[in-house]
Amino acid sequence: MLDFFDLSLHLRPRPETETESSAEELIKTAKRFGYAGVAVTNHNDYAEIGAGAGESSNFAYKGIEIRADSVAVLKRKIKIHYGRVAVLAVHGGDEKINEAALQDYRVDILAHPCGEFGRGKGKGRGKGKGRGKGKGGGLNHVLVRYAAENGVALDFNMNAIIQSRGRGERARVLRKMRENLKLVRKYDALPVLTSHAETVYDLRAPREMVALAGLFGMTREEAVRALSEVPRGILEKRWKRWKKGREVEVL
Amino acid sequence: MKFQRLPPTLRERKRYLVFEVRSEWRGEREVEKREVLREIWNSVYSLHGEVGASESNIWLINYAAGVGILRCAHNRVEEVRAALACVHSLNDAAKVGIRVLGVSGTIKGAKRLAHLSISM
Repeated sequence: MLDFFDLSLHLRPRPETETESSAEELIKTAKRFGYAGVAVTNHNDYAEIGAGAGESSNFAYKGIEIRADSVAVLKRKIKIHYGRVAVLAVHGGDEKINEAALQDYRVDILAHPCGEFGRGKGKGRGKGKGRGKGKGGGLNHVLVRYAAENGVALDFNMNAIIQSRGRGERARVLRKMRENLKLVRKYDALPVLTSHAETVYDLRAPREMVALAGLFGMTREEAVRALSEVPRGILEKRWKRWKKGREVEVL
Repeated sequence: MKFQRLPPTLRERKRYLVFEVRSEWRGEREVEKREVLREIWNSVYSLHGEVGASESNIWLINYAAGVGILRCAHNRVEEVRAALACVHSLNDAAKVGIRVLGVSGTIKGAKRLAHLSISM
Protein backbone atom coordinates (compact mmCIF):
# COMPACT_ATOMS: atom_id res chain seq x y z
CA MET A 1 0.00 0.00 0.00
CA LEU A 2 1.09 3.51 -0.69
CA ASP A 3 1.97 5.89 2.06
CA PHE A 4 -0.44 8.77 2.27
CA PHE A 5 0.25 12.01 4.05
CA ASP A 6 -1.86 14.93 5.12
CA LEU A 7 0.29 17.93 5.83
CA SER A 8 -2.27 20.38 7.05
CA LEU A 9 -3.91 19.51 10.31
CA HIS A 10 -4.86 22.43 12.49
CA LEU A 11 -5.19 21.83 16.15
CA ARG A 12 -7.55 24.33 17.59
CA PRO A 13 -7.16 25.87 20.97
CA ARG A 14 -9.48 23.77 23.03
CA PRO A 15 -12.21 25.26 25.16
CA GLU A 16 -11.87 24.25 28.81
CA THR A 17 -14.83 21.89 28.52
CA GLU A 18 -12.89 19.39 26.47
CA THR A 19 -9.49 18.61 27.78
CA GLU A 20 -6.52 17.09 25.99
CA SER A 21 -8.09 14.42 23.75
CA SER A 22 -9.06 16.42 20.68
CA ALA A 23 -5.56 16.76 19.28
CA GLU A 24 -4.63 13.21 20.05
CA GLU A 25 -7.92 12.00 18.70
CA LEU A 26 -7.37 13.77 15.42
CA ILE A 27 -3.98 12.20 15.03
CA LYS A 28 -5.26 8.79 16.06
CA THR A 29 -8.10 9.04 13.58
CA ALA A 30 -5.70 9.96 10.80
CA LYS A 31 -3.75 6.84 11.61
CA ARG A 32 -6.87 4.74 11.53
CA PHE A 33 -7.89 6.23 8.19
CA GLY A 34 -4.69 4.86 6.72
CA TYR A 35 -2.41 7.86 6.64
CA ALA A 36 1.27 7.13 7.02
CA GLY A 37 1.97 10.54 8.47
CA VAL A 38 0.48 13.92 9.19
CA ALA A 39 1.89 17.33 9.80
CA VAL A 40 0.36 19.74 12.24
CA THR A 41 0.54 23.16 10.68
CA ASN A 42 -1.11 25.54 13.05
CA HIS A 43 -1.27 29.17 12.17
CA ASN A 44 1.62 31.00 13.70
CA ASP A 45 -0.65 32.90 16.07
CA TYR A 46 -1.64 29.53 17.53
CA ALA A 47 1.78 27.99 17.34
CA GLU A 48 2.11 27.23 21.00
CA ILE A 49 -1.06 25.18 21.13
CA GLY A 50 0.24 22.41 18.95
CA ALA A 51 3.51 22.43 20.79
CA GLY A 52 2.65 19.44 22.91
CA ALA A 53 0.84 17.25 20.44
CA GLY A 54 2.65 18.67 17.45
CA GLU A 55 6.02 17.44 18.55
CA SER A 56 7.69 15.79 15.61
CA SER A 57 7.40 12.05 15.81
CA ASN A 58 7.38 9.26 13.31
CA PHE A 59 3.77 9.92 12.55
CA ALA A 60 2.93 13.50 13.41
CA TYR A 61 5.37 16.05 12.11
CA LYS A 62 5.64 19.54 13.41
CA GLY A 63 4.84 22.27 10.98
CA ILE A 64 3.59 25.79 10.81
CA GLU A 65 1.35 27.81 8.59
CA ILE A 66 2.55 31.37 8.52
CA ARG A 67 -0.09 34.01 8.33
CA ALA A 68 1.18 37.47 7.55
CA ASP A 69 -0.35 40.73 6.44
CA SER A 70 2.62 42.05 4.57
CA VAL A 71 5.59 40.70 2.69
CA ALA A 72 8.06 42.13 5.21
CA VAL A 73 6.31 40.37 8.08
CA LEU A 74 6.15 37.17 6.06
CA LYS A 75 9.86 37.20 5.35
CA ARG A 76 10.66 37.83 8.96
CA LYS A 77 8.47 34.98 10.11
CA ILE A 78 9.89 32.59 7.54
CA LYS A 79 13.34 33.44 8.81
CA ILE A 80 12.29 32.67 12.37
CA HIS A 81 10.70 29.33 11.62
CA TYR A 82 12.83 28.02 8.77
CA GLY A 83 14.79 24.98 9.79
CA ARG A 84 12.83 24.48 12.99
CA VAL A 85 9.80 22.79 11.49
CA ALA A 86 9.32 19.83 9.18
CA VAL A 87 6.75 21.65 7.08
CA LEU A 88 6.71 25.37 6.51
CA ALA A 89 3.47 26.49 4.92
CA VAL A 90 2.28 29.97 4.08
CA HIS A 91 -1.30 31.08 4.42
CA GLY A 92 -2.02 32.21 0.88
CA GLY A 93 -4.81 34.17 -0.69
CA ASP A 94 -3.41 37.61 -1.07
CA GLU A 95 -1.59 38.13 -4.33
CA LYS A 96 1.44 39.84 -2.78
CA ILE A 97 1.80 37.15 -0.16
CA ASN A 98 1.44 34.41 -2.77
CA GLU A 99 4.13 35.94 -4.90
CA ALA A 100 6.55 36.40 -2.04
CA ALA A 101 5.95 32.87 -0.78
CA LEU A 102 6.41 31.22 -4.14
CA GLN A 103 9.65 33.06 -4.77
CA ASP A 104 11.07 31.87 -1.50
CA TYR A 105 12.77 28.49 -1.66
CA ARG A 106 12.43 28.09 2.10
CA VAL A 107 8.67 27.70 1.85
CA ASP A 108 7.35 24.14 1.48
CA ILE A 109 3.68 24.67 0.80
CA LEU A 110 1.53 27.58 -0.25
CA ALA A 111 -1.76 26.81 1.44
CA HIS A 112 -5.02 27.66 -0.32
CA PRO A 113 -3.53 30.04 -2.91
CA CYS A 114 -6.99 31.38 -3.73
CA GLY A 115 -8.03 32.12 -0.20
CA GLU A 116 -9.46 29.64 2.22
CA PHE A 117 -12.75 29.37 0.39
CA GLY A 118 -12.15 30.22 -3.20
CA ARG A 119 -12.49 33.89 -2.63
CA GLY A 120 -14.67 36.23 -0.68
CA LYS A 121 -16.69 34.54 2.03
CA GLY A 122 -14.26 34.50 4.85
CA LYS A 123 -14.33 32.00 7.61
CA GLY A 124 -15.28 33.08 11.09
CA ARG A 125 -11.82 32.78 12.54
CA GLY A 126 -9.98 35.13 10.20
CA LYS A 127 -9.23 38.66 11.13
CA GLY A 128 -6.91 39.57 8.30
CA LYS A 129 -8.92 37.54 5.86
CA GLY A 130 -7.57 39.21 2.72
CA ARG A 131 -10.96 40.82 2.63
CA GLY A 132 -11.31 43.54 0.07
CA LYS A 133 -7.78 43.05 -1.15
CA GLY A 134 -7.79 42.69 -4.89
CA LYS A 135 -10.34 40.50 -6.56
CA GLY A 136 -9.28 37.01 -7.38
CA GLY A 137 -5.85 36.92 -5.96
CA GLY A 138 -4.88 33.36 -6.59
CA LEU A 139 -2.40 32.11 -9.09
CA ASN A 140 -1.31 32.90 -12.57
CA HIS A 141 1.19 31.45 -14.99
CA VAL A 142 4.06 33.50 -13.62
CA LEU A 143 3.47 32.51 -10.02
CA VAL A 144 3.10 28.84 -10.81
CA ARG A 145 6.37 28.92 -12.67
CA TYR A 146 8.05 30.36 -9.59
CA ALA A 147 6.46 27.57 -7.59
CA ALA A 148 7.90 24.94 -9.89
CA GLU A 149 11.35 26.51 -9.82
CA ASN A 150 11.51 26.89 -6.08
CA GLY A 151 9.94 23.59 -5.21
CA VAL A 152 7.02 25.17 -3.39
CA ALA A 153 4.04 22.83 -3.43
CA LEU A 154 0.63 24.25 -4.23
CA ASP A 155 -2.12 23.20 -1.93
CA PHE A 156 -5.52 21.98 -3.04
CA ASN A 157 -7.71 22.37 -0.03
CA MET A 158 -10.34 19.64 -0.05
CA ASN A 159 -12.00 21.17 2.96
CA ALA A 160 -13.08 24.09 0.78
CA ILE A 161 -15.02 21.66 -1.41
CA ILE A 162 -16.49 19.82 1.52
CA GLN A 163 -17.54 22.81 3.58
CA SER A 164 -18.79 25.09 0.85
CA ARG A 165 -22.46 25.72 0.97
CA GLY A 166 -24.90 27.97 -0.73
CA ARG A 167 -25.53 28.46 -4.38
CA GLY A 168 -22.58 28.32 -6.68
CA GLU A 169 -19.98 28.52 -4.01
CA ARG A 170 -18.75 25.01 -4.53
CA ALA A 171 -18.86 25.56 -8.27
CA ARG A 172 -16.62 28.57 -7.85
CA VAL A 173 -14.16 26.70 -5.67
CA LEU A 174 -13.99 23.83 -8.15
CA ARG A 175 -13.58 26.26 -11.01
CA LYS A 176 -10.57 27.87 -9.30
CA MET A 177 -9.04 24.49 -8.63
CA ARG A 178 -9.52 23.49 -12.23
CA GLU A 179 -7.65 26.60 -13.35
CA ASN A 180 -4.89 25.97 -10.86
CA LEU A 181 -4.62 22.36 -11.93
CA LYS A 182 -4.20 23.41 -15.53
CA LEU A 183 -1.31 25.67 -14.59
CA VAL A 184 0.22 23.03 -12.36
CA ARG A 185 0.18 20.55 -15.23
CA LYS A 186 1.65 23.02 -17.66
CA TYR A 187 4.59 24.05 -15.49
CA ASP A 188 5.01 20.72 -13.75
CA ALA A 189 4.57 22.28 -10.32
CA LEU A 190 3.90 20.22 -7.21
CA PRO A 191 0.28 19.75 -6.24
CA VAL A 192 -0.58 18.54 -2.77
CA LEU A 193 -3.97 17.49 -1.44
CA THR A 194 -4.77 18.61 2.06
CA SER A 195 -7.71 18.53 4.40
CA HIS A 196 -7.00 21.48 6.70
CA ALA A 197 -8.89 19.49 9.27
CA GLU A 198 -9.49 21.01 12.66
CA THR A 199 -11.60 18.21 14.05
CA VAL A 200 -11.98 14.52 13.30
CA TYR A 201 -15.12 15.32 11.35
CA ASP A 202 -13.20 17.40 8.83
CA LEU A 203 -10.77 14.61 8.14
CA ARG A 204 -11.33 12.39 5.12
CA ALA A 205 -9.71 9.08 4.30
CA PRO A 206 -7.18 9.00 1.43
CA ARG A 207 -9.54 7.35 -1.04
CA GLU A 208 -12.17 9.96 -0.35
CA MET A 209 -9.59 12.66 -0.97
CA VAL A 210 -8.79 11.09 -4.32
CA ALA A 211 -12.48 10.98 -5.21
CA LEU A 212 -12.86 14.64 -4.25
CA ALA A 213 -9.86 15.57 -6.37
CA GLY A 214 -11.57 13.83 -9.27
CA LEU A 215 -14.32 16.44 -9.04
CA PHE A 216 -12.08 19.11 -10.50
CA GLY A 217 -10.49 16.91 -13.09
CA MET A 218 -7.51 15.42 -11.33
CA THR A 219 -6.83 11.94 -12.56
CA ARG A 220 -6.44 9.13 -10.10
CA GLU A 221 -2.70 8.90 -10.64
CA GLU A 222 -2.20 12.63 -10.14
CA ALA A 223 -4.29 12.63 -7.00
CA VAL A 224 -2.46 9.67 -5.52
CA ARG A 225 0.84 11.35 -6.24
CA ALA A 226 -0.38 14.57 -4.66
CA LEU A 227 -1.28 12.62 -1.56
CA SER A 228 1.75 10.37 -1.25
CA GLU A 229 4.86 11.09 -3.26
CA VAL A 230 4.71 14.88 -3.16
CA PRO A 231 4.13 15.25 0.59
CA ARG A 232 6.77 12.63 1.31
CA GLY A 233 9.16 14.61 -0.83
CA ILE A 234 8.25 17.73 1.11
CA LEU A 235 9.08 16.07 4.39
CA GLU A 236 12.38 14.88 2.97
CA LYS A 237 12.98 18.23 1.26
CA ARG A 238 13.44 16.31 -1.94
CA TRP A 239 12.04 19.03 -4.15
CA LYS A 240 14.45 21.67 -3.04
CA ARG A 241 17.04 22.81 -5.47
CA TRP A 242 19.92 23.03 -3.00
CA LYS A 243 19.60 19.32 -2.50
CA LYS A 244 19.80 18.69 -6.21
CA GLY A 245 22.79 20.99 -6.42
CA ARG A 246 24.54 19.07 -3.70
CA GLU A 247 23.99 15.79 -5.48
CA VAL A 248 25.51 17.22 -8.60
CA GLU A 249 28.58 18.30 -6.65
CA VAL A 250 29.05 14.83 -5.24
CA LEU A 251 29.07 13.35 -8.69
CA MET B 1 -49.64 -12.57 -16.63
CA LYS B 2 -47.58 -13.38 -13.64
CA PHE B 3 -45.07 -10.74 -12.60
CA GLN B 4 -41.72 -11.72 -14.01
CA ARG B 5 -38.46 -10.84 -12.35
CA LEU B 6 -35.89 -9.18 -14.53
CA PRO B 7 -33.39 -11.82 -15.58
CA PRO B 8 -30.00 -11.32 -13.96
CA THR B 9 -28.32 -10.49 -17.25
CA LEU B 10 -30.62 -7.51 -17.76
CA ARG B 11 -30.32 -6.07 -14.31
CA GLU B 12 -28.30 -2.96 -13.67
CA ARG B 13 -24.86 -3.61 -12.29
CA LYS B 14 -24.41 -2.34 -8.80
CA ARG B 15 -21.88 -1.71 -6.13
CA TYR B 16 -22.51 -1.56 -2.42
CA LEU B 17 -20.61 0.99 -0.39
CA VAL B 18 -20.19 0.32 3.28
CA PHE B 19 -19.81 3.58 5.13
CA GLU B 20 -19.31 4.79 8.63
CA VAL B 21 -20.81 7.97 10.07
CA ARG B 22 -19.05 9.88 12.82
CA SER B 23 -20.87 12.80 14.31
CA GLU B 24 -20.40 15.30 17.06
CA TRP B 25 -23.35 13.73 18.78
CA ARG B 26 -21.35 10.62 19.47
CA GLY B 27 -22.27 9.44 22.93
CA GLU B 28 -25.23 11.79 23.20
CA ARG B 29 -27.54 10.32 20.65
CA GLU B 30 -27.50 8.08 17.62
CA VAL B 31 -27.75 9.55 14.17
CA GLU B 32 -31.01 8.45 12.63
CA LYS B 33 -31.36 6.76 9.28
CA ARG B 34 -33.67 9.49 8.06
CA GLU B 35 -31.09 12.19 8.78
CA VAL B 36 -28.25 10.33 7.11
CA LEU B 37 -30.35 9.67 4.06
CA ARG B 38 -31.35 13.29 3.76
CA GLU B 39 -27.79 14.55 4.00
CA ILE B 40 -26.59 12.02 1.44
CA TRP B 41 -29.31 13.00 -1.01
CA ASN B 42 -28.66 16.71 -0.48
CA SER B 43 -25.01 16.16 -1.10
CA VAL B 44 -25.55 14.08 -4.24
CA TYR B 45 -27.99 16.63 -5.60
CA SER B 46 -25.80 19.62 -4.98
CA LEU B 47 -22.73 17.90 -6.33
CA HIS B 48 -24.01 15.96 -9.35
CA GLY B 49 -27.50 17.34 -9.89
CA GLU B 50 -30.63 15.39 -10.67
CA VAL B 51 -29.22 13.77 -13.76
CA GLY B 52 -26.15 12.59 -11.91
CA ALA B 53 -28.29 11.34 -9.07
CA SER B 54 -30.48 9.34 -11.43
CA GLU B 55 -27.46 7.79 -13.10
CA SER B 56 -25.97 6.89 -9.74
CA ASN B 57 -28.99 4.76 -8.83
CA ILE B 58 -28.58 5.44 -5.13
CA TRP B 59 -30.45 3.47 -2.51
CA LEU B 60 -29.78 3.15 1.17
CA ILE B 61 -29.96 -0.58 1.83
CA ASN B 62 -29.33 -0.59 5.49
CA TYR B 63 -28.26 1.74 8.24
CA ALA B 64 -27.76 0.99 11.89
CA ALA B 65 -25.45 2.12 14.63
CA GLY B 66 -23.37 4.45 12.53
CA VAL B 67 -22.64 1.96 9.76
CA GLY B 68 -24.64 1.82 6.57
CA ILE B 69 -24.76 0.17 3.18
CA LEU B 70 -25.46 2.31 0.16
CA ARG B 71 -26.21 0.94 -3.28
CA CYS B 72 -24.99 2.72 -6.39
CA ALA B 73 -24.33 2.03 -10.05
CA HIS B 74 -21.14 0.09 -10.67
CA ASN B 75 -19.55 2.85 -12.72
CA ARG B 76 -20.43 5.68 -10.36
CA VAL B 77 -18.54 4.59 -7.28
CA GLU B 78 -16.04 7.44 -7.30
CA GLU B 79 -18.73 10.05 -7.84
CA VAL B 80 -20.80 8.69 -4.97
CA ARG B 81 -17.70 8.47 -2.82
CA ALA B 82 -17.04 12.14 -3.45
CA ALA B 83 -20.62 12.98 -2.60
CA LEU B 84 -20.36 11.05 0.66
CA ALA B 85 -17.13 12.84 1.47
CA CYS B 86 -18.92 16.15 0.96
CA VAL B 87 -21.41 15.49 3.73
CA HIS B 88 -20.24 17.76 6.51
CA SER B 89 -23.11 18.52 8.83
CA LEU B 90 -26.36 17.09 10.08
CA ASN B 91 -29.34 19.43 10.13
CA ASP B 92 -26.82 22.26 9.99
CA ALA B 93 -26.18 21.53 13.63
CA ALA B 94 -23.67 18.79 14.24
CA LYS B 95 -20.48 18.29 12.35
CA VAL B 96 -20.27 14.93 10.70
CA GLY B 97 -17.84 12.94 8.63
CA ILE B 98 -18.55 9.93 6.45
CA ARG B 99 -15.87 7.45 5.61
CA VAL B 100 -16.24 4.63 3.13
CA LEU B 101 -15.07 1.40 4.72
CA GLY B 102 -15.24 -0.70 1.60
CA VAL B 103 -17.00 -1.48 -1.64
CA SER B 104 -18.55 -4.76 -2.58
CA GLY B 105 -20.46 -6.18 -5.51
CA THR B 106 -22.99 -8.03 -3.41
CA ILE B 107 -25.09 -7.23 -0.39
CA LYS B 108 -23.67 -10.31 1.27
CA GLY B 109 -20.13 -9.07 0.86
CA ALA B 110 -21.11 -5.60 2.02
CA LYS B 111 -22.69 -7.03 5.15
CA ARG B 112 -19.57 -8.96 5.90
CA LEU B 113 -17.54 -5.76 5.62
CA ALA B 114 -19.99 -3.96 7.88
CA HIS B 115 -19.85 -6.71 10.51
CA LEU B 116 -16.09 -6.74 10.39
CA SER B 117 -15.92 -3.03 11.02
CA ILE B 118 -18.45 -3.08 13.83
CA SER B 119 -16.75 -5.88 15.67
CA MET B 120 -13.44 -4.05 15.41
